[in-house]
Amino acid sequence: MHFPDELRYSSDHEWVRRDGSRIRMGITDYAQDALGDIVFIQLPDVGAVVATGTAFSEVESTKSVSDVYAPVAGTVVAVNEKLIDEPQCLNEDPYGEGWICLIEPQDADEMTGLLDSDAYRALVDE
Amino acid sequence: MPLPRSPLHDQHEALGAKIVPFGGWEMPLSYPEGTLAEHRACRSGAVVFDVSHLGTVRVTGAGAFATLQRSFTNDLGRITPGRAQYTHLLDDADASVLDDIIVWWADEETFDVMPNASNTAGVLEALRLEAMPEAGSTEALDVTSSRAILAVQGPEARRMLGQIWPDAAAVNRFNVVDLRWHDVACRVAGTGYTGEDGVEVAVPSEAAPALWQALLSAGIIPAGLGARDTLRLEAGLPLHGHELGPGITPLQAGLGWVVAWDKPNFRGRKALDAERQAGVARKLRAILAESRRPPRAGQAVLHDGAIVGELTSGNYSPTLECGIALGFLVPGIEIGNTVEIDQRGQLVPARVVKPPFVHRPT
Repeated sequence: MHFPDELRYSSDHEWVRRDGSRIRMGITDYAQDALGDIVFIQLPDVGAVVATGTAFSEVESTKSVSDVYAPVAGTVVAVNEKLIDEPQCLNEDPYGEGWICLIEPQDADEMTGLLDSDAYRALVDE
Repeated sequence: MPLPRSPLHDQHEALGAKIVPFGGWEMPLSYPEGTLAEHRACRSGAVVFDVSHLGTVRVTGAGAFATLQRSFTNDLGRITPGRAQYTHLLDDADASVLDDIIVWWADEETFDVMPNASNTAGVLEALRLEAMPEAGSTEALDVTSSRAILAVQGPEARRMLGQIWPDAAAVNRFNVVDLRWHDVACRVAGTGYTGEDGVEVAVPSEAAPALWQALLSAGIIPAGLGARDTLRLEAGLPLHGHELGPGITPLQAGLGWVVAWDKPNFRGRKALDAERQAGVARKLRAILAESRRPPRAGQAVLHDGAIVGELTSGNYSPTLECGIALGFLVPGIEIGNTVEIDQRGQLVPARVVKPPFVHRPT
């Protein structure tokens, strides 16, 4: 399983990456593998103001439904609409084509409090 | 206590399968290619499922036929030795479907009764209660642990199986034949649970890994129980514990054809007769959603704003690329009616359709 060093991770299995003043997020390789084939995503609403840990999106695989939580507090400013018709991108390229949304964070430094790749790997290896 | 494992457990692990508890067994949910790829392979080519978790109760003796006739709803008099039949075991008190079963009638006095994994003990118990000593002795033995069952399914199943075992590939739909595979005695039936053509092979446990490997070497793709579930749902086939079970009768499930009303008696007949007279309070329906969001068991179905039923199974249809579901609806809702499914608070438009969702190509 792949957990790029340049990303930060939440214990709810989301990844984040700094993207200018914004934060790009998605679900981790571990999350997509545990879910199995993803066939549907309810994307977050653009403009939604979310607190850290808010369930703001849902992904469904052939076997289950799972909430996606906001990894940082802020405003959703863009979503990856490609996932509506091609949710398999979440499985095939979770850190690239499978990104879920861009968040304008309330506090640009909040993401530094998230797990680094070693800590996240240790979490999922437990 | 650890859960029982298939004789093919090591093969599944070596392939990198996701292994999950299923019907009281540890079974492969999917292989690394994933449920969708396995599903599509079964619709376009050939796959093999390990379904060793199904039970086999071997019923033998001069009284076996009479005992099964009295225990189950369908009429074995409609078939002959060498054929298979789908049938139900009912609760005597309320005609609930305790189990749905395939019977392989191997020879005159030998029947392999194949219950769902977790219902094997209940079926054994019912057969003991319904034994007909006046018709001759009957022995019912759980032989599940002695064999594996491999289901080879798909439009290319017979052609590909024929490359390694022509006799097995020639077993026709709903036929049952005893065959040898490299001197190993096997029982092969033209049955399945995918809506595709194919056969199911009961092979002694110790020979199962070699047969499994031979099937994979012939290019047949391993498929897990996740794909088996989406395939049976597209085929509109009921699953015990969802569309059949406590409180659900064959008539509610639209399976009246499984009941031989002209038989003198069978377990649960009185209660089922009463329901037939009064009419069913709900009917199993097939529902096609407009969204690709997978409907799920337990979700409410609405019509004109009122709740008219509840889903018992639902998922994404890889073939139709939209949500499909089965559920019990009140009798007034008919094929062609539009309904809505409450999917976590979102009302998704859907339509009641005639099953199956996906037809076998002819």
